[in-house]
Amino acid sequence: MTKSRTLSLSVKLVLTAFFMVTVFLPIISMFSKINWATIGSIVNTATFGQTVFNSLSVTICATIISVITAYLLAFAINHSRIPCKGALSILITLPMLIPSISHGLGLINLFGENGLLTNLLGIPSNLYGFNGILIGSVMYSFPVAFLMLSDAMKYADETIYEAARVLGIPKGSRFFSVTLPYMKRPLISATFAVFTMVFTDYGVPLSIGGRFVTLPVYLYTEVIGLQDFSRGAFIGLLLLIPAIITFLIDLRKKDNEGMGFASKSIRIERNRLRDILLGLFCVLVIGFVLLVLVSFAIMTFIGKYPYDMSFTLRHIQEVMDKGLGEFFSNSLLISILVALIGTVVGYITAYVTARTESRVVSRILHLTSISSLAIPGIVLGLGYVICFSGSFLYGTIFILVLVNIIHFFSSPYMMAHNAMKKLNPNFEDVGKTLCVGRLRLLRDVFIPNTLDTIAEMFGYFFVNSMITISAVAFLYNTRTMPLAILINQLEGDMMFEAAAFVSMIILLSNILAKIVIAGVKKFCKYRLAK
Amino acid sequence: MEEKLQVSRLIKTYADKTVLNGINFTVHNGEFLSVLGPSGCGKTTLLRILIGIEPFDSGHIQKDGEEISNLPPNARGMGIVFQNYALFPNMSVLQNVMYPLKFQPKLKKNAKSIALDIIEKVGLTEHIGKKPNKLSGGQQQRVAIARTLALSPDIVLFDEPMSALDAANRVALRKEIKEIQAKFGITMIYITHDQEEAFSMSDRVIVMDEGNIVQMDTPYEVYHHPANDYVEQFVTCHLKEKISSIQESVGGVR
Repeated sequence: MTKSRTLSLSVKLVLTAFFMVTVFLPIISMFSKINWATIGSIVNTATFGQTVFNSLSVTICATIISVITAYLLAFAINHSRIPCKGALSILITLPMLIPSISHGLGLINLFGENGLLTNLLGIPSNLYGFNGILIGSVMYSFPVAFLMLSDAMKYADETIYEAARVLGIPKGSRFFSVTLPYMKRPLISATFAVFTMVFTDYGVPLSIGGRFVTLPVYLYTEVIGLQDFSRGAFIGLLLLIPAIITFLIDLRKKDNEGMGFASKSIRIERNRLRDILLGLFCVLVIGFVLLVLVSFAIMTFIGKYPYDMSFTLRHIQEVMDKGLGEFFSNSLLISILVALIGTVVGYITAYVTARTESRVVSRILHLTSISSLAIPGIVLGLGYVICFSGSFLYGTIFILVLVNIIHFFSSPYMMAHNAMKKLNPNFEDVGKTLCVGRLRLLRDVFIPNTLDTIAEMFGYFFVNSMITISAVAFLYNTRTMPLAILINQLEGDMMFEAAAFVSMIILLSNILAKIVIAGVKKFCKYRLAK
Repeated sequence: MEEKLQVSRLIKTYADKTVLNGINFTVHNGEFLSVLGPSGCGKTTLLRILIGIEPFDSGHIQKDGEEISNLPPNARGMGIVFQNYALFPNMSVLQNVMYPLKFQPKLKKNAKSIALDIIEKVGLTEHIGKKPNKLSGGQQQRVAIARTLALSPDIVLFDEPMSALDAANRVALRKEIKEIQAKFGITMIYITHDQEEAFSMSDRVIVMDEGNIVQMDTPYEVYHHPANDYVEQFVTCHLKEKISSIQESVGGVR
């Protein structure tokens, strides 16, 4: 065996061991905490039945609305002639830049007892509970479904539509016989992804659920409040089920893919009515999104709506007094470390799985590194508490960094993996015959050609670490607390204005990060094309 | 004629499949030799073994009378042009040619002048600062050849370099390869599944089938006196395919 093969094999083994310890060990130790003798008494209570029912009903409704909304938006962006598509796509994905808990908060700002809109329109508030969770969950999940569906529609093949036209298939049937079958897989993927997101999220129900308890909130109170790890772990197991199904479906999909590239991009017929209706729908959705985001600014700078409408910086002062600076720098430090380490580990993992021999080990490493996708943040966080609570990591900022890297690992890993698969498969052989080693090629060829992907990975890790509360909620302490958790605490203290200000800071930081990343990507493209 | 490369009793097996079944052949100095066969006949494996990026089970490879099968790829005095050229997309023409020179202790100092010289010889001086995506297929091929020639090999191997190009381009590029061969006087071994390509460029052609050499002769002899039914079928059936595809494209009789 040559030196470089030994090196790549040992890198693979180290990485596989790393994921075994950081992904599987916590989950296994979580399961070992379940005391099956007492589970029967939990399952048979009326509260438990109600909680499961609550979770399922609100998740199913939210999933349906979310996917339909996302489909219409994706259709508008890819198959209509509405103007400013680029700007619209960016606005549609804005909700991905704030924590799920902030969506709940935004809705309280707008539709709560003294909400901006309930007051203005004089309508009674009926927000807390099912309605609030439903709207909040849709808000926070539809952009994800939009991105998945829009991506699939982008590569739709015009030749199929040409064939359908030539064969005289009427428009209506064309939708059911051509468009829908083509979108079937992406739709299934998006549906399951949204279902899992909503089913396992506790930010929205925590802030707006009131007495309408869902499974994640139940888990959260059992563990954080009552320190009952056995029950918590059992609910964690329940939350893991849809996530694993989603994962397996996606895995099958990826294995079956191979339809390849579209030979011709879609031609969009003229249809004014369609464009007007879809344009209106986009404006409506985006208007609602912006309303929520703008409400943060209004709440921040107004004394106490609707009683004291004067401009004030008092709420900012309140947050400062709570230790904003410290939590903000915690968040920035965590997010930058996650982005740096996550990108490096993700890139190296992708390099060895995409560009080296020994298929079996590569395949195992590939599967382990995308398996974190199947574990909801709340479950991962619980697993980490149980698994690492005695270790030197516990109580430091590094456990938060580690849990976030694992939580968000699979998407950036796949970005890098796909980017490297696209590069000419002969580069390594070129290197061998020209006496250029693997590491030199990595430095001089692979990295320069994938800089935009690296920037994208970095941004993904950063933004998600800024907004996450699910995994970190179990692991922070007063010294390491990130900013998103502060929103939860402020809401608990009924300081909604202060919470709005924190949400706004997170939003603005993420917008800034996105702009920087977009700039870097543009620069990379420009340099490569020059 | 002087013997440049001698391959004897070369055997290569993957798990239970025999890819090369005891191959023997000799390549003369300055010759243009094509290895022709359908995909899966073992021709690409043969090429990868010659250059040294693929191990083999038994046999000998001798160059100028010396055994080279234990040498690493870069010490064999051979160059290779890969499928689709495998140019480094982030580097300019000059950087692509210069890059491997930088890692040669002896050539490092003069890397730039060597690269400039070779680029001039392949006629790319005016495109020196361009990235590969700004070059035509033919120019990309010349960069790929220049990149391997910079290390002054005396044999250059080609692994179906034109498979991704359109038919019109390929005819012109064949000529370019021949011109470069004449200019540098090097031995070339060319792998292809396209018999028209093989016949039009080569001094001699090797026809392969399932790990065996079924015929090795001049294009004229292979065409007029095919060694067996397989060779005859392979030669003619491909021509039929080509003719019918030409007919289709011009809308002719069916």
